[in-house]
Amino acid sequence: MLACYVCATAVGWILHMREQVLLSVKGRPPVRGTKQYGQRFSAAFCRLLTVRTVLVAAIASHLLVGIAAAQTLPRTQDGRPNLQGIWMAVNRAAYDLEDHAARHDMPAGLSVVDEGAIPYQSWAAEQRQVNFDNRATADPLGNCFLPGVPRVMALEHPFHILQTDGHVAITFEWQQVHRLVYIDTEPPRYAGVESWMGNSRGRWDGDVLVVEVTDQNDQTWLDAAGNFHSNAMHVTERYSLRDADTIDYEATIDDPEVFTTPWTLRLVLKRQTHLDRILEYQCQAEKSEANGDFERDVRTWYPAPIPAENAPFDADAGAQLSVPATPPDVPRLADGSPDISGYFMADAGGANYGLEAREREALMPPSRGQVVDPIDGTLPYQDWARAERIDRELPHRGYDDPTAHCFLAGVPRSHYVPAPFFVVQGEDHIVVLHERMSWRHIFLDDRDFLSDRIRLWQGHSVGRWDGDTLVVESRNFNGKAWLNELGDVVTHAQTVVETFTPVAQNQVIYRATVSDPIAYTRPWTIEMPFNRSDDELLEVACLEDNSDLQHLKDVRDEYRAGQGQGERS
Amino acid sequence: MTRTVRATTWMSLGLILGTSSGLAHHSFSAEFDINAPVRLEGRVSEMRWANPHAWIYLDVEDEAGNVVNWAIETRAANGLIRRGWRPGDLAVGTVLIVDAYQARNGTSTASLANATLADGRTLFEGSPEPDEPQ
Repeated sequence: MLACYVCATAVGWILHMREQVLLSVKGRPPVRGTKQYGQRFSAAFCRLLTVRTVLVAAIASHLLVGIAAAQTLPRTQDGRPNLQGIWMAVNRAAYDLEDHAARHDMPAGLSVVDEGAIPYQSWAAEQRQVNFDNRATADPLGNCFLPGVPRVMALEHPFHILQTDGHVAITFEWQQVHRLVYIDTEPPRYAGVESWMGNSRGRWDGDVLVVEVTDQNDQTWLDAAGNFHSNAMHVTERYSLRDADTIDYEATIDDPEVFTTPWTLRLVLKRQTHLDRILEYQCQAEKSEANGDFERDVRTWYPAPIPAENAPFDADAGAQLSVPATPPDVPRLADGSPDISGYFMADAGGANYGLEAREREALMPPSRGQVVDPIDGTLPYQDWARAERIDRELPHRGYDDPTAHCFLAGVPRSHYVPAPFFVVQGEDHIVVLHERMSWRHIFLDDRDFLSDRIRLWQGHSVGRWDGDTLVVESRNFNGKAWLNELGDVVTHAQTVVETFTPVAQNQVIYRATVSDPIAYTRPWTIEMPFNRSDDELLEVACLEDNSDLQHLKDVRDEYRAGQGQGERS
Repeated sequence: MTRTVRATTWMSLGLILGTSSGLAHHSFSAEFDINAPVRLEGRVSEMRWANPHAWIYLDVEDEAGNVVNWAIETRAANGLIRRGWRPGDLAVGTVLIVDAYQARNGTSTASLANATLADGRTLFEGSPEPDEPQ
């Protein structure tokens, strides 16, 4: 390409020289071969030589720098541009994709749309104005609903990319949203099933990751200014790594129901070099707590103290369970560690309805019991915590279960809620995507735990391979989660040590040992198999369709009215 | 053909074992009353393919002749989709006989135990195991 450019430039230069000689002469052109012609030719030649040399040098150097940049871009082992890390958009597209002046709820910003304005059909332009006028209450994001694509990429919250040969996992700080991009030319297994975040299929076009997003519903907006789309929208995203810390992102929106022509928006995504992990912003949980709809439990939430009357916590009481054997022929990564990536579903035996064995009771399904230590299968509760667990079975406490509010399930419950999860296994960290919209990052780089003040629903997890077993220790919990619908208790003081041991081609034995000196007298361990299959994740948009919470609240409120009770302490 | 009956008889048929409600994100015992079983016969007005629970809306004529729209909570849409059901499969107007447990707050809301089509086939056949993907 460079050679063609040089040839074309040389030919153009010669032709242009003659033209310039003639144009540089005011009045009658000099006769060719005369002294005057020679002087003017020399002057024009020198002038053009200078200008052209500078131009050619600049263009050539730009091309060479570009080629050098392409050669020096960080790349994965398979040679693809390495998009991994923590990123965030650096513009005001989250507020309004088009040029906009400042308002009380949005700072001013420049358009990120190629043609400046979005090419709405006339009816849709009117609808956009209605949306804009009502944005304070009508914006789905204001209700903490899933943002859709491309809006989620523009939010002023960081997100994280993990990239393997077969998948790109994008996890977002905002509301624990995730996207799983299958690098695959096959159509999605559940093509045609609409969801808030849609189906994403990716492919590499040279150094550009191209993602086709289909099957999004018509419930999301494109920004906070009421720009919208229909369920016919097809989004084509292109991720181009400009340099180690910059991704040029573009999304082409094709929606013949709403727009007159396809259009493209562009975002600059910058690496968040000051972060080594993203945290959580559980929009709905924070909103509910602020509104008084989700009440603090001073016994379990951070920073609840260990009750003075507690029996001593015997941290050494945990039995030594033997580690299951891993056959040598389980799938493995290039470095020899087991490959535990893919779609998994726990054979949890009803752990979401109790960790101790119990029969079906009323409308509560049974549990086979998952506690393997203590060997009698009984959770070693402190007295207050056992009493609390029994109280949580009462109808008026159903409202208190965080998952009834669609909040996060915590650890280990996220693995047995029950809903499947998808493991994407990177070189130095693992991302777990739970179908019930939440994620976990497991860091394999021997990093420190977070400051005591950072408290998370899903905790902070650091893992290592011990032979063929992945051992994960998690701390920094907030103590808001329940262990199941029955109400098994856990507090912010829990440390969870999980082991993932492959025992067959597509089975992992999972154990979680919970050490919680506030709620228990000693550590205890649960166990269950995780089974892998080739299924794909669907989406659980819990909050967006949660009709149950009001019923549970009615039951709770009616009980309180009858009891003359005030706030639960 | 459409009426609401407080039914206790179907419980004795062992259908309670077929409880196929959501098994998902909240306590069913807390929201629905096992002592308030209802049998509803009516026509589907809508099905919402939602998570964590899908909802069947059923127009049911009560004893006074008024049509009441019942909201019947069933399993998560994802569980149904994985079993091969797709939005649109349950057409508006489909006649259903539904055994369900009414919500504790006394509204026209219930948790599906069993739904039978006019030809006798069971809707969403088979109850999920507790850990079936929801």
